[in-house]
Amino acid sequence: MEEAVVMKNVCKDFKVLNRHEGLKGSIKDLFSRDYKTVSAVKDVTMTVNRGEIIGYLGPNGAGKSTTIKIMTGVLEPTSGEILVNGKVPYKNRTENCENIGVVFGQRSQLWWSLPLIESFKLLKDLYMVPEKEYDDMIALYRSLVDIEPILHKPVRQMSLGQRTLSDILAAFLHNPAIVFLDEPTIGLDVSMKSKIRELILGLNKEKNTTVILTTHDMGDVDALCKRIVIIDKGMKIYDNDIDHLKNYFGSYRTLKLKLADDTWEEMLIDEKTTDVMDVIMEKQKEKKIKDVKILEISTEEVIRKIYEGGTK
Amino acid sequence: MNPKRLLALTRAGIMESLYFRLGIFVTLFANLIYLVLVYYLWKAIYASSGTDVVNGMTFTDTMIYLILATAIFNFLEMFVVWDMSRSIQSGKIVLDLLKPMRYRKYTFWSYTGNHVVQFFLTFVPTFIVVMIVTHGAIKFGLNIIWFLVATVFALIINYNIEMLVAPICLFTESTWGINIVKETIVLLLSGATIPLAFFPEKIRMIVQYLPFRAVYDIPLSILLGKSGSDTWDGLLKLFGLQIVWLIVLTVAGNIFWNCAVKKITVNGG
Repeated sequence: MEEAVVMKNVCKDFKVLNRHEGLKGSIKDLFSRDYKTVSAVKDVTMTVNRGEIIGYLGPNGAGKSTTIKIMTGVLEPTSGEILVNGKVPYKNRTENCENIGVVFGQRSQLWWSLPLIESFKLLKDLYMVPEKEYDDMIALYRSLVDIEPILHKPVRQMSLGQRTLSDILAAFLHNPAIVFLDEPTIGLDVSMKSKIRELILGLNKEKNTTVILTTHDMGDVDALCKRIVIIDKGMKIYDNDIDHLKNYFGSYRTLKLKLADDTWEEMLIDEKTTDVMDVIMEKQKEKKIKDVKILEISTEEVIRKIYEGGTK
Repeated sequence: MNPKRLLALTRAGIMESLYFRLGIFVTLFANLIYLVLVYYLWKAIYASSGTDVVNGMTFTDTMIYLILATAIFNFLEMFVVWDMSRSIQSGKIVLDLLKPMRYRKYTFWSYTGNHVVQFFLTFVPTFIVVMIVTHGAIKFGLNIIWFLVATVFALIINYNIEMLVAPICLFTESTWGINIVKETIVLLLSGATIPLAFFPEKIRMIVQYLPFRAVYDIPLSILLGKSGSDTWDGLLKLFGLQIVWLIVLTVAGNIFWNCAVKKITVNGG
């Protein structure tokens, strides 16, 4: 089986009560049957292959978390087909859970007042991980990150970075086929972020775990993902290699000019329609140019343009 | 069904309860104050009645009953309603639904550790003190074993009552009021605050067959050799009542929870 996740025309609608304004409205709402349907996910079709790390991106409220909840089996899609590890997740939720790991950056699944090692032991028994596999996993963890200082620390005393790290380790402990990481680097400092990226990459390589990552940090995307899927307003608007992304709007370059008054002027240029040299010449007529830099467009900028401009 | 999973959850629960060691002492202290209050209240009731025996119970009988009822209450107490409403409101319930176990089973076994700790740290000491103070007013024999069995049934029945109330917060988005109503009903009708013998005849006839009695009154009656539990016949009747309610409530709780889960999975909670 090559595919970890197969989604075909998956839609998810929520029924929301139409709330009215004011005190009178609130009383009216008590008996109101006036519902409106909100589509969180519209007709999403995608396939995630085994061992892939994919970046699942989209602006806030685009439907990312809803999709993840559908894939984990917590939400039932309104229509469409979905298979995770070859099974329908919402019909076999408990079974599906044995083969997936989940990290929500904002929440912890660890036992708050217990030292990390106790959470690990408990998860080992919950997922019925054989003793030897568990030992191997801990050995692998030791080789990838320095876990000694946190292993015997109660989770409540950990810093946010240590806790996120622990949560990721906990999600991989039973060697699941797929791990969902929902904004794992949210609120972390630069060095912790890079530590966590290295860890994810290392675990993906060693165990060939499929990783589905949602994030707002393009650094995560650049460091981890070969392929990205972008959704906006519930619809998939991009699904391809990260390299293709740079040419998504045409061949853009950032041109930086240092002017006579020592300020840098930045502009985005589409090389297909305008010539960079022409722009420089044009500028030179107005002001003296001291220095020139031509930069490749960053992932962040493309993504921002996609979010702001919607589809092409 | 793997006992290792369940034991692991119980073990973690024990460790978590022991972590909050101060809480245990506070509970013991609060109990002491409550019992002083109960003592003087019932002393006044007996003094004003003019007789030594009220409704077939002497003052000592009543005190033993109420002290042990409080002790049982402490170790059977569950916070399923609070915990579930909090985790639904914060969305944490998703993490519990993502455990490789059925939710009802998972939560039940997450609580057992706390019950074990409370049993040894509040019930057993209270029981020993009552034994010493009353100079053997409590029989110490086979009834202890029957009591333990009845307590396990009571625990499951209590859990199922909680599980019948807790998912209501999915529909109301607030549980405070519902929980207070539930607690009051359980405490009153189970005999935890007033011995059932003190109820008016007609009400007692009804209350006798309600599930709340199976939580506190039945284990206690068995321990104290009351309500005919000193005969095989009477004992079987009490266990029979417990088992019937256990089955009914487990089935009802299961159905209700499945509806509730449907609401989470269909409408996102």
